[in-house]
Amino acid sequence: MTTATTTGATVSPTRKGASRARAQLTGDSSIYITIFVALVAVALTLGPIIYLGLGGFRSNGQIAADPTGLPDPWVWQNYWNILTNSTFWRYTLNSLIVAGATTLGVVVFGTMAAYPLARYQFRGREGVFIIFTAGLMFPLTVAIFPLFLLLQDLGLKGMWGLVVPQVAFALPVTVIIMRPFLAALPDELEEAAFMDGLTRVGFFFRMILPLAKPGMVTVGVLAFLGSWNAYLLPLVILTGRDAPKTLPLGVTEFQGQNASDFAGIMAYTFLAMIPALVFFLMMERRIVDGLSGAVKG
Amino acid sequence: MTALEASGTGKAPAVDAKASAAGDHPVTPATSNPRRDARRKRLEIAIFVGPALLIFFTFVVFPMVMAARYSLYKWDSRQPFELAEFIGLDNYTRALIGGTDPETQEIFWKAYAEPFWNAVGNNGQIIVLSMLIQLPVAMIVALVLNRKFAGRSSVRLIIFAPYVLAEVTAGLMWMMLLDPRGPVTQMIQGLGLPTPSQGWLEDPTWGFWTFFFIVSWKYIGLAIILFLAGLAGVPQELQEAASIDGASWWQVQWRINIPLIGPTVRVWAFLSIIGSIQLFDMAWVLNKGGSTGQYSTIATLMVDIGTQRNDGGYASALAIIMFIFSMSAALAYMALIMRRDTANGRTRKAKKGVKA
Amino acid sequence: MASMRKTSAAVAFAASAALLLAACSSDGTETDPTESATGGETSDAGGEPVTLTWWHNAVAGDNGQNDLGDYWQSLADAYTAENPNVTIEIEQIQNEDLQRTRIPLALQSGDAPDLFQAWGGGELATQVESGYLMDLTDTLADDISRLGGGVAPWQYEGSTYGLPFQFGVEGVWYRESLFEEAGITEEPATMADLGDAVQKLKDAGITPIAVGAADGWPAAHWWYNFALRSCSQDVIQSAGTSLDFSDQCWIDAGEQLEEFLGTEPFQDQFISTVAQTGATSSAGLVATGEAAMELMGHWNVFVYEGFTDGSEEAIDALHDDLGWFPMPATDGGAGDPTAALGGGDGFACYVDAPPECADFLAFIVSDENQAGAAEAAGILPVAPAAAEAVTNPVLVELSQVAGNAAYVQLWLDTTFGTNVGGAMNDGIVGIFAGTGDAQDVVDLMTAAALTQ
Repeated sequence: MTTATTTGATVSPTRKGASRARAQLTGDSSIYITIFVALVAVALTLGPIIYLGLGGFRSNGQIAADPTGLPDPWVWQNYWNILTNSTFWRYTLNSLIVAGATTLGVVVFGTMAAYPLARYQFRGREGVFIIFTAGLMFPLTVAIFPLFLLLQDLGLKGMWGLVVPQVAFALPVTVIIMRPFLAALPDELEEAAFMDGLTRVGFFFRMILPLAKPGMVTVGVLAFLGSWNAYLLPLVILTGRDAPKTLPLGVTEFQGQNASDFAGIMAYTFLAMIPALVFFLMMERRIVDGLSGAVKG
Repeated sequence: MTALEASGTGKAPAVDAKASAAGDHPVTPATSNPRRDARRKRLEIAIFVGPALLIFFTFVVFPMVMAARYSLYKWDSRQPFELAEFIGLDNYTRALIGGTDPETQEIFWKAYAEPFWNAVGNNGQIIVLSMLIQLPVAMIVALVLNRKFAGRSSVRLIIFAPYVLAEVTAGLMWMMLLDPRGPVTQMIQGLGLPTPSQGWLEDPTWGFWTFFFIVSWKYIGLAIILFLAGLAGVPQELQEAASIDGASWWQVQWRINIPLIGPTVRVWAFLSIIGSIQLFDMAWVLNKGGSTGQYSTIATLMVDIGTQRNDGGYASALAIIMFIFSMSAALAYMALIMRRDTANGRTRKAKKGVKA
Repeated sequence: MASMRKTSAAVAFAASAALLLAACSSDGTETDPTESATGGETSDAGGEPVTLTWWHNAVAGDNGQNDLGDYWQSLADAYTAENPNVTIEIEQIQNEDLQRTRIPLALQSGDAPDLFQAWGGGELATQVESGYLMDLTDTLADDISRLGGGVAPWQYEGSTYGLPFQFGVEGVWYRESLFEEAGITEEPATMADLGDAVQKLKDAGITPIAVGAADGWPAAHWWYNFALRSCSQDVIQSAGTSLDFSDQCWIDAGEQLEEFLGTEPFQDQFISTVAQTGATSSAGLVATGEAAMELMGHWNVFVYEGFTDGSEEAIDALHDDLGWFPMPATDGGAGDPTAALGGGDGFACYVDAPPECADFLAFIVSDENQAGAAEAAGILPVAPAAAEAVTNPVLVELSQVAGNAAYVQLWLDTTFGTNVGGAMNDGIVGIFAGTGDAQDVVDLMTAAALTQ
């Protein structure tokens, strides 16, 4: 919960005072309602995840005997077996590389595309933007079969076969978020830059990129999470003996191979959740901002 | 974030962006030759937009066009497409009305149109229930949590956590929790309440509701976080003034907070509708939409037909139908509900113009 | 998430498969086991370098062991040692992914493995029609006759496109101690007997039969068996090619299933129960002694073993308490009361594979190597000469019972192909869930057949 402090940004100093005033106005007893609602929401959200994590510390016998009990005694074996198995780490690393490359591609190409759409005047500009926007209506699921055949024809395999289409499908939301973001930068910047003899391209690299960093981080975070959690595309693309399988595939693979080992599956599933949760804790603000940005589209 | 603060203050978010994006940027670099400058500008545009557009057309638009083509053929997807047979719109009529041949219409209705409309119905129910259940619940939680209290940031963080989990892991987790003799069953029975006789997810009547609960668990955090962010932008002075005037807490929410985050709510609703139409991962991971399709969606039906039954033409037709639904919903929503925001945006832009 | 590990690593069955299979095919001529084909015969030791890619479904099981996968690797090593110009690249893929996703997409894309798992039946027919498979009829004529009738599911219009290494039938597995506890003294031979047994088990507070209906196919197999009893061999076999299900027997099968379901023989929440994952799966219920019976294929003894602690004593105790009987006979019906359903595993060569593929395939299914696979991984060999290599006591017992089958019918979903087979399974699950009836199953199958 270390990032808790960062969320405080929404509460400006003046508002702090105001909300205190409001708390007084609405009466102190209502704080209990707030706390009650908060506790219920937290319990419903975290309860299942904690159950999963604790289940990984139990033996199959314990789970069968009492599904709701606590570990007694604590069994470390399930987690230990997974963490000492190199495949878990390899899948995690694969996921990391694929998500990293996807993020890079999305940010670079998305920002580049959004720049003229935001700050150039040209015919067909709205048309191009609408085409990207319509991309939101094509979920990857819909195109999975033709997409697979296309990738085969192009010889895109392994990680590239995963990264390139993921970049393509993440572009719409990226352009939709980045365009208003870039457009919102004041016109005066441009005037000053051109006065100094900077070209539009130079302006992009010298001024836009540094200023657009928050927006780029936001779309990057969204692309990273999308890639990290992807399931269908890796399932059909990552073929071949040396295919760089990603973590979601690892989860189902583990489940398939250890069908009778309920506790082991719980441990593996819980471990597979942790990287996303950690990433979320680090990037919580960016994710929320990104989604609210998407909302604006 | 500026976007949210804008939405909170009643300015139209959706359009805010477009308004300024479409706004003129009249300044250009000083150059001597206007014609060469125009050419150069075109080149720049091509270099900036080109790569993204190329990737987008190759990997998103082209496959969609291919899907549209496949949808007009009778094609066993395990066979080369050269062996496919052109059948016009038969795949579409099969899904919508069970085909046009009166002799086979009855069984085709049962085999294809019924599962299709069942899936459409599930998508539709999820849309409606999101508005009737997720929206009020998220709104109440957001309003109640919209104040200072110890651990506020942590609570916000936790509520949003399920949203970032992979569907595979979250789905597997719920499958284990909802096991016929798992903890959920035990707890509910421990409270002396009945549990579904056929199990949580597969029971023909309870299955859908269980699924809806899981989907809500996974995605409601988004609504709460967005609403909270919107509420953070509502000027405190308004609320204080109302309170001083003797308005109760509820009156403040009802008269001031809720109307002022209207644009945020409308945009969330838009995302929720599109998301509901395209819902796939969670339903697929749980049990491919349920053993009797109790929580199947158009997308799970499509992937099921495409990968398990190898009917490539019919699956492609379902893909195109789903796209048409998404597009129509988006256009209709824009036209009917967001128009208000758009109108606001225009006035705002006009004002800005005056100022400039 | 249901993983259909029908033919996972350690699949086995007993000795008389070859006998069964001889009966399975109409022209099943048994020949003397010829010399096992080995790699050295046809391929030139100094030939051009060749790489064979091989996809099979032998993945590691619960205990991380992969006996069959290891055995396949050892065969590949032995073959490449003899043929230094050949390199073999193996990929192990989970069964359902392999069958439903990987192989179809690979074939479709033209970038297919040279040698890959083939399950026979309608699926093989589709692959042949698409021109994906190498015709082995002439190149492996000796091996085809050596394996006898067992090759039939891998043949299409008189030509052979794949060779099997194992084949097994399904029946009802049961816990002998639970039968004893309920006072059941004999294995049910008719549906009436089975009904009695179900009642006695219920009276004793034991769940009579476990079924993993959430996965679909385990439920569907009950209907297959009713169809096997109600439809004549001719009707079933001609339906395999004509996809005509107008015979009344197909509806009778569903009605018999409905009647059987009416006696409530299955565990609570059977529609939510999966076949193999966790102690509450159907296999888990039988393995832990909560349910008495389960209708399953020959592989299931290994699934049950996965629920023990893995020690030799525990596995022996399980084997001692595990019994098996064929699907009971029904009243009336045109089907032979002793016919059995089964399925097997084989390999086929991609049409553009190098000739070494066929040679290596012959090497895999040689008598010697099938016997080796039976010893190492407990598979149920097809080669008659390899039958004696089966030693698992439960499987030996099984084979004696199964050996009496009049004929062996390939799984109906495999026979009819994925489209009609999938429609059939959906319809049957509808009967189990109470949302459909016997007529629906036939209608769904007929509709699916009309679309292809």
